[in-house]
Amino acid sequence: MYQRLFAASLLLACLCLGFVAWGYQAPYSYEPVGPRAYPLMLLILLGAGALLLVFKPMLEADADGEPHLSRQMVRKVVICLALLLALASLFEALGFIPSAILFALGMARLFGGRWLPSLVLAVILGFGMYLLFDKILDVPLPQGVLAPLEIF
Amino acid sequence: MDTLQYLGQGFGVALSPNNLVTALAGTTIGTIVGLLPGLGPINGVALLIPVAFALGLPPETALILLASVYLGCEYGGRISSILLNIPGEASAVMTTLDGYPLARQGKGGIALSISAWSSFIGGMIATLGVVLFAPMLARWAVSFGPAEYFMLMVFAIVCLAVMAGDKPVKTAVAVAIGLLLSCVGIDANSGVYRFTFGSLGLADGIQFVVLVLGLFSISEILMLLERTHKGQAAVKASGRMLFNFQEGASVIATNLRSGVMGFVFGILPGAGATLASAMSYMSEKRIAGPSGKFGEGDLRGLAAPETANSASACGSMVPMLTLGIPGSGTTAVMLGALTLYNITPGPLLFQNQPDIVWGLIASLFVANVILIIMNIPMINLFTRILSVPNWTLVPAIAIITSIGVYAVHATTFDLFLMIAIGIFGYIMHKLGFPLSALLLGFILGGMMESNLRRALSISDGSLAILFNSPITLGLWALVIVMFALPFWRGYRARRARLAAAVEANA
Repeated sequence: MYQRLFAASLLLACLCLGFVAWGYQAPYSYEPVGPRAYPLMLLILLGAGALLLVFKPMLEADADGEPHLSRQMVRKVVICLALLLALASLFEALGFIPSAILFALGMARLFGGRWLPSLVLAVILGFGMYLLFDKILDVPLPQGVLAPLEIF
Repeated sequence: MDTLQYLGQGFGVALSPNNLVTALAGTTIGTIVGLLPGLGPINGVALLIPVAFALGLPPETALILLASVYLGCEYGGRISSILLNIPGEASAVMTTLDGYPLARQGKGGIALSISAWSSFIGGMIATLGVVLFAPMLARWAVSFGPAEYFMLMVFAIVCLAVMAGDKPVKTAVAVAIGLLLSCVGIDANSGVYRFTFGSLGLADGIQFVVLVLGLFSISEILMLLERTHKGQAAVKASGRMLFNFQEGASVIATNLRSGVMGFVFGILPGAGATLASAMSYMSEKRIAGPSGKFGEGDLRGLAAPETANSASACGSMVPMLTLGIPGSGTTAVMLGALTLYNITPGPLLFQNQPDIVWGLIASLFVANVILIIMNIPMINLFTRILSVPNWTLVPAIAIITSIGVYAVHATTFDLFLMIAIGIFGYIMHKLGFPLSALLLGFILGGMMESNLRRALSISDGSLAILFNSPITLGLWALVIVMFALPFWRGYRARRARLAAAVEANA
């Protein structure tokens, strides 16, 4: 069921992308094959594969092995994604250290850590990773709200 | 003779203090990543690329680091298979069949040491194979033109889908998605923006690091959510820690056969280590016949997949170095790392950058020796790492991943893109699409398109160039054989079933 749904949405995406790709024309052409042919060829291949999966899912050995996600698992996945998105949006706004500490605390709790150990871990990770990457490995990380403190 | 001289030069590179320390660090990290259930070589290698880049390692050192992590993972994967009955990755599944029963019988120490020894022999056989065959192949491949390259990649992709065994269509779809993703961004030949939808972040394409970490780190973290509950307790490795001479001698023939087999499967693009370990296990079982206790703790059943695993890991370096075509997901990641250094892998690499190629080959020897020395006495330390809980591990992995992606462009756009790719990868994984096929498609995609267009520019648009040389025709023949294989197998299976039905009726 899910597999068919996925294959059908792939097919739909192929059609839309094919529509988009049809417009790819080079203003000046120096070569016989322009920028359009190759993506179109791939879209046709992908579409054919998706079509096969929609109508003949039994070709694949694991066709009956539908994934089972319990309601609890779905909740966990959603929380995990929310945490990841929060990290991405706060990364520059709050700066690396505070956002990483909040993120690590949430993740550790999500994976079953207790409050105090999780907090300790989060603080160690936040400061440790900053020192390791920004100071030792020269990967510049955003300082964010901690910038005015000038402690680093 | 040249080969020996180059190899000597390679050892000069690999044994320089810096690179030796790198190999030591890489093998240690690799073993640890490999033994953590759920994490395999792709995850380990992918996580280390940004770190290697940030450290400012020269290309040969970075490659040595990645290769030693790869080998270390193949060594480490067996520990969780034997003691926990949880394979760290697909290629370690076969190890659990006889490894776990052995551990249950109180022969954990013997199982661990003999599997380390098997990995060592496999790695050594395959590395010797690399030394013998890679320069030959490279010399031959220099004459390849764009049409030959294009056909070679077509062959690699068909191989991948057919070798994947029970789900050819899903593999093909995954490869096609990967190929398509490589089209995103500005087209180098014409300057047309493709599939960017006006986004500046996508203008120069999807960054390799973003894709790899999305597919193999973010989606893996989501997979790990299913294992938040307390894991099984590891069987204590007790008793004798080292196998004796008799046990070693009983598996030596198995080691040699599986090593050669693993090397051959490693060269072929496709399932690589997973297929190699399964095939060698099956064939050893057949050779042993009724005398074997396969599945109940036969030493040969443990030695075969372990030898084949590490042999195919080393063997997969051959197509990567000589043709620039990865033989496995992990070598695809390494290839991507090479392109980050603006090094185009291919036959000319042997002429232009002998230090990189031979340094890497020599470091395979070095890494194997380090691993066998490290693995036997330090096994107790490694088994203790198995008890590190996920709640400390996952936040660290996630944060390193985010830093690695942020470091590419210093934009948060890449972080969001990585999460989106991660979600997509998670869904695909759940539905049984192989993610490493997608990655392979992404790596091959750019090369495939530029080679096709170059070939057609040479022939002024005529497709005949794809059928013109003996090499392209040979590759076409191989492609057709590969396509026919599943049908032939189906035919044979049907015949066998029919015969069985007839017999049952009679």
